[in-house]
Amino acid sequence: MTAIRRRLVPYFLLGPGLIWLILFFVVPMYFMARLSLEEGTLTEGFRFTWQFSNFTDSLAESDTQFVRSFVYAGVATVLALLIAYPLAYAIAFRAGRWKNALLLAVIAPFFTTYLIRTLAWQTILNDTGVVVDTFKTLGLVSEGGRLLDTPGSVIAGLTYNFLPFMILPIYASLERIDQSLIEAAKDLYSSARTAFWKVTLPISAPGIVAGTLLTFIPAVGDYINADFLGSQNQAMIGNVIQSQYLVTNDYPSAAALSFVLMALILATVVIYIRFAGSEALMGEEARRA
Amino acid sequence: MRKTWKIVLALLALAAALGIAACGGGDGGLEEGASEEDVETAAAKPIGGEWTISNWPLYIDNKTIDEFDKEVGATTKYIEDINDNFEFFGKLRPQLQNGESGGRSMFVVTDYMAKIMRDLGYLQNIDKSAIPNVEENLRVELEAPDFDPEREYSVPWQSGFTGIVINTDLAPEIDSIEDLLKPKYEGKVTFLGDMYDDVSLVLKMQGADPANASEEEWNKAIDTIEEAADSGQIRDFTGNAYAGPLVKGDIVAAVGWSGDAIQLQADNPNVKWIRPAEGCNLWSDNMVIPVGAPNPGTAQAFMNYVYDPKNQAQIAEYVNYVTPVEGTKEVLEKQDPKVANNQLIFPDEQFTADCTPQAIPDPSFEDAVTERYQSVVTG
Repeated sequence: MTAIRRRLVPYFLLGPGLIWLILFFVVPMYFMARLSLEEGTLTEGFRFTWQFSNFTDSLAESDTQFVRSFVYAGVATVLALLIAYPLAYAIAFRAGRWKNALLLAVIAPFFTTYLIRTLAWQTILNDTGVVVDTFKTLGLVSEGGRLLDTPGSVIAGLTYNFLPFMILPIYASLERIDQSLIEAAKDLYSSARTAFWKVTLPISAPGIVAGTLLTFIPAVGDYINADFLGSQNQAMIGNVIQSQYLVTNDYPSAAALSFVLMALILATVVIYIRFAGSEALMGEEARRA
Repeated sequence: MRKTWKIVLALLALAAALGIAACGGGDGGLEEGASEEDVETAAAKPIGGEWTISNWPLYIDNKTIDEFDKEVGATTKYIEDINDNFEFFGKLRPQLQNGESGGRSMFVVTDYMAKIMRDLGYLQNIDKSAIPNVEENLRVELEAPDFDPEREYSVPWQSGFTGIVINTDLAPEIDSIEDLLKPKYEGKVTFLGDMYDDVSLVLKMQGADPANASEEEWNKAIDTIEEAADSGQIRDFTGNAYAGPLVKGDIVAAVGWSGDAIQLQADNPNVKWIRPAEGCNLWSDNMVIPVGAPNPGTAQAFMNYVYDPKNQAQIAEYVNYVTPVEGTKEVLEKQDPKVANNQLIFPDEQFTADCTPQAIPDPSFEDAVTERYQSVVTG
């Protein structure tokens, strides 16, 4: 009896999570999949007809926005990585007693909602604001040019909004590094630079992989930044889905687009992890298993 | 080990059962459009007790509700949860489809949305015997709109004009929709992103009659907007968010609403609404009673209440849109002559001569143009 009970314990522990997943992931996915294969209009009603053309049509009509979403999210992820790594490194190794204060500063923007933060950028980047003036003086923006409603402002918004998701995992992986490993490298006549490339960077790779995924995935589907900081010529796939759901009420196309987006993200992530190696994602744990 | 599998199986079965149950509820598709016979008329009695109204933000003064509650012995729950006709519709549709209104006794939607909801059978008729003030005081121009010629299911809450809002410091010379499309203002103007408003104005510019425009005329107007959007002439489609950029000077002119401009002008004297040379759009937001509405009697009593010019004056003074209630001007002339003499709140016939209701496309091509227009707005 006790043996059986003991064997059952893990499944009981798994239960809540499993029910959660089924209720809030599997079931909605099922309905969305079904919806994506329906045809009709709101006034005439929707019928389930295995309408596979929803997928091909919506992909063909929104290819520009798909490409745009992946390019913007990709650039934003790279920028966020370039900003986050040195910052996380500084916080982990050089901040001393300021460490907690700096970490707090990284998280502080979350105390304000996403929407308000993005709206604030509208004011910061406006045509007559300080930023545009400075850029004009520096010759980075042409006379009569602007920042708001350009790809630059949307990418900047994405980078800014998802930066903490990049910093925190990288910080966590750097923080765990055993300093004696770096000392050992130096003992073996490695320069500081070589020690960084051969020891620090590889050990922090899981943080980088986690950070890039946490930034890239939500950034691809984001529509707030493109809405507030961009115009119709910077619309991303999230904007199209939102408009199809709420304005044209074309639920099947919107559902089909959501699935295509999900599949594309999944494919990108799988390729990325293959390329980076699963140890890079899981770190030591993967190697041990 | 077998037992553990049983648990997994049980969980899967539970999920499947839930799926099927939910499926049975949501699978029926939509009811066919409402035919004349099966539209219910909202009950005029009883009056009083709890009821709920959904409206747009800042669309009522802060005294009317209390005074109404006192007069008829009601407890009004007034929610400001409508920011966009289609978004509101999208949120509420699943409930309306099941004959429920989400607890709302009444809500306020723009002309075309009232028509869409009506065509789907989501609205009840209003009992005219319950609203004598409306019969008596509704402005003549609003008595028989195309979408509801008998005013069977809609009563205007407030009306307004769509035209151009300009920044007088930067572009005082703009006076037509055609001006907005001049190369000089490239990237300095915005449109609303509301098909009915944007297309109606461009139709007028192209000499078409918004009320009877053909599919070709619609497509021609959308072509023009698309070209301007792709080239960057139109900087953005803003919804109601044009005020900030206009005041800051990011843009010099925007397609916008009269009531907004009056409120904006109070803080920024350099903002002004103008009636485009081509004419403007005249629209109303309408009180409607959805299917399954609780306490429709009190909702209709409220319609009647706000159509008393005395009560309407209080609302008009606060919201600054065009009031649909005759006699309000006379009340305000004594209380607040500045509001009473504002052409944008109490326009005379000459002022509105070139203004027509928003174009609503013929159902035969409505879906096609809506889809096209939205793809312009989302690049």
